[in-house]
Order: sequence, then C-alpha cells, then structure tokens
Amino acid sequence: MRRDVLLFGPAARMVGRDRITLEARGPTVRDVLAEIAARHPELAPTMGAARLAVNHALATPDTTIGPDDEVALIALLGGG
Amino acid sequence: MSRVRVQIVDGPLPREPSSFADARSDADEEVGSRIRFEGIVRGTEGGRTLAAIEYEIYEPMASRQLEAIAREESARDGVRSIEAVHSRGRVAVGEISFTCEVRSRHRAEGIAAISAFIERMKLDAAIWKNPIFAGGR
Repeated sequence: MRRDVLLFGPAARMVGRDRITLEARGPTVRDVLAEIAARHPELAPTMGAARLAVNHALATPDTTIGPDDEVALIALLGGG
Repeated sequence: MSRVRVQIVDGPLPREPSSFADARSDADEEVGSRIRFEGIVRGTEGGRTLAAIEYEIYEPMASRQLEAIAREESARDGVRSIEAVHSRGRVAVGEISFTCEVRSRHRAEGIAAISAFIERMKLDAAIWKNPIFAGGR
C-alpha cells in the first residue's frame, strides 16, 4: 500500500522535503520504518531512535496502519 | 486536585509572568513554592553563531503530549499546578522560547516536576529546533 509519511526538522532537511511517499511490504509501523530506512539511506543518522506517529500519537512497532491514517516520522526531537 | 495548562504560541514569549498567576491559584493555601523556568535561545550552537531558532511543531500531537506530561507530573505528591508554554516559529537569540511554572507545597517537588517535565518533553514531544545561523549560513 502506498502511503505518505510526514517529515519534520533535521529529517526533512536531510531528505529535502517534508513528505515522502513509499510502498511498505506490510501494514505495520515496523514495516514502514524498514521501508523508510531502505529507501532513504540519508536518514540513517535518525533511524536508530526513530518512531512513527499514527494519527498524532506515538505508535508501537506492531501497530497496524490504516489506509487513511496520518503517519509522521518522529526523530531527532529538540523542544525546550 | 492539581491544575495544568499547556499552550503553543507564535514567536517569542513575554518576559513578564504568565496570566496563570491569577488570584485563585495564589489563594491556594497549600502552595508554598512557585518555580518558573525560562528557556532562552543561546547565541551559539556547535561553536557557530546563531541568529535564531525556528521551532517546528506538529499539532495537535505536541499539545496533547505536553498536556499528558503535565497531567502526569502534576500527580506527584505536593504538586498543585503546572503551566507550560512553548514557542512556535522564529525566536531570536536572547529571547524566551519556553516557560514552565510549577506551584507546589514545597520546593523539592516543584524542582523535580519541572526537571522531569523538560526531560520528557525533549524525549517525546513533537517539537523540532531548526537553527538559523548568523549570516544565513
């Protein structure tokens, strides 16, 4: 399933845009993270601690992502 | 019961104390300590001169996270209220980008609550710093 993933901060600067589109092998957060790492090696410095937010909440690796869910890469945070 | 309030505002934060210091909370007879932390944009990062930081915030996720953290930290014994305000967008060097104010029975739990709130915010909240270096470099 093709899906968009929103990017922010350093991750967006590394890729050069604030949204990527990819086709993951499966429907889980783990599948999408693996696909991001495979398609975007420039994000390697961020992927070690990267998580996904699904519909504005941090998701576990086993979370299944629905077709209309909003997905965002949460990495290299730095508020405050 | 403890009170919490979280706010995201555009640009730098005012230097004066927040409106949360209203009559009702000041009248709380259980409050013996009020601690206010201000985060200020430093002039350098990694040895380079900064002009500002652009704060990028993913909403409504960030507000929900900050409120959840505030609620959990306000459940500490003795904590009476937590208010946190974070900037969105450009904040110049020397300006305030974040404040956290905690009222508590004693100072120790207030200091602990502020410290824990900030640590958890930096770890989990969907907020990013984009440095803007002097000279545009």
